[in-house]
Amino acid sequence: MNGILNFISRIGQLDRRWIFLIIALVVLIPLFFPLGLPIRATESTRLVWETVENLEPESKVLLSLEYGPSTKPELHPMVFALVRHLLKNDHKIYMTCLWPDGQFMAEDLIEKVIELEFPDKSYGEDYVLLGFRPGGEAVIKGIVSNIRKLYTVDARNLSVDEIPMMEAVNQFKDFDFLFSASAGFPGTVEWVQYASDPTGVPMSTGTTSIQVNEVMPYVQGGQVKGILAGMPGAAEYEALIGVPGIGTSGMDAQSIAHVVIVLFIIFGNVAYFVERKKAKKY
Amino acid sequence: MFWKRTIPIAIVATVGFLTLFGWFVDEPHIKNFVEDDATQWYDILASFAIFLGALNLLKMQSQKILKKQTGWQYSIFAVGGFIFAIIAGFVIKGNDAIQWGAHVTGKGTLFKWMFEFMFTPLSATMFALLAFFVASASYRAFRIRNFEATLLLISGIIIMLGRVPIGIKISAWFVLYLTILGIGVVVNNAFKNKQITLGFVVGGLLLTTIAGFWMGWPVDQPALFYLPILQDWIYNIPNVAGGRAIMMGIGLGIFATSMRYILGIEKSYIGE
Repeated sequence: MNGILNFISRIGQLDRRWIFLIIALVVLIPLFFPLGLPIRATESTRLVWETVENLEPESKVLLSLEYGPSTKPELHPMVFALVRHLLKNDHKIYMTCLWPDGQFMAEDLIEKVIELEFPDKSYGEDYVLLGFRPGGEAVIKGIVSNIRKLYTVDARNLSVDEIPMMEAVNQFKDFDFLFSASAGFPGTVEWVQYASDPTGVPMSTGTTSIQVNEVMPYVQGGQVKGILAGMPGAAEYEALIGVPGIGTSGMDAQSIAHVVIVLFIIFGNVAYFVERKKAKKY
Repeated sequence: MFWKRTIPIAIVATVGFLTLFGWFVDEPHIKNFVEDDATQWYDILASFAIFLGALNLLKMQSQKILKKQTGWQYSIFAVGGFIFAIIAGFVIKGNDAIQWGAHVTGKGTLFKWMFEFMFTPLSATMFALLAFFVASASYRAFRIRNFEATLLLISGIIIMLGRVPIGIKISAWFVLYLTILGIGVVVNNAFKNKQITLGFVVGGLLLTTIAGFWMGWPVDQPALFYLPILQDWIYNIPNVAGGRAIMMGIGLGIFATSMRYILGIEKSYIGE
């Protein structure tokens, strides 16, 4: 019995490098050998899908990208899935960025999804990248009041007046739907406060897992039509549109990593109680 | 004093009042100012603020290098990276086929190369390291020390497993068995009687097993013990309640601070 207790105590003192190694392995192995675990869409993900699905054909959708390379693994897959869904349903996509990195993410999206999977869609007619403007909430207010004052040229230096799909687009109210892919400030909350709520234009969002707490009250209040929560949200959306992507393949790794972290917590607590019992005894 | 103190306070108070009342007064000029002109001014000021911030960064890091303060070696990378970004942004385009301006995200340009091969890997690495630190920290710090810590730990585990696909595979009956064992610990602590504890645990396990056979062991029933449903409940009910309370608190704080600015009580922005 003492031997077992000593062993548990020793586990409690495990060098952190072993933990790092185990985490690295449990993340890497499922990426190379996928388990194909089932994906169940939550209500909030289903709500985003339904909102997009119920849009009238050729709806004008404003897609705002507020994230960078650090949060790319969580947000990029959901934006890929959403754009696939929007273009499949023949909607027009207008991309803006409140973060400077967002413009690179948008270019990557155009290159890897739009140009590759939808070669029949053309720039300026089916999608446009308006690009980044500094100012945070002021940019949102600018888009709400007069988008043409804020964007005289797009990200490729083309005059907005010469872009066919910009015709009859002067302010935020001219859009039919907004999707904000956000990793922080300025992002979803600011879009709700300054754009969607005052104008009544419906919006949905996709955020990092850690941000869900902040946005969830707006979803419950009906101000945001659903939320894609981190990589699981992306995987769920991919399952709903029937096109598995990076989100789905990342879920196996995340699943196993979560199980291992839970096991670490349990082992850590067992070791803690054994140590406490020993301390009381002596 | 007049130019450095009175004028800035007067500008802030006037613009603050106009912006605030712009929401309540149906006057086209004020509305136009609030919704259009003021935001344009803000955009222009924000652009200059970036310029000032960049100059400030260069000054601070250069001083650190010249005075050889602690960690001055890192500042060399900061200044070097800054100069490199300036060159890639304003001097060397790297691809003549692309116009200035569009070169920032254009294919084959130096700026795009810098973003793809320097900024992206560094930024992603920093964020990816979190997984390792979270695992290590949860192993060492997530301890059942008191009731609140236990509640946090159980909620954390439910969210962690319920959010990912593997949670779908974990049977509600398994969670129910664990719950009975957990309640058994509480019963033991409360009554300090082995017979009562044994009776509770054996009785609970037996009843659960009979119910399981009777219902045919469906993975997602009883729904109360199914992890994806439990995590949904935690996300939507206690989490949102706490989130709302925090948001209301923040809202009141913002209102109070804004009023302090408008009334000229808060002067930290002029260095007081």
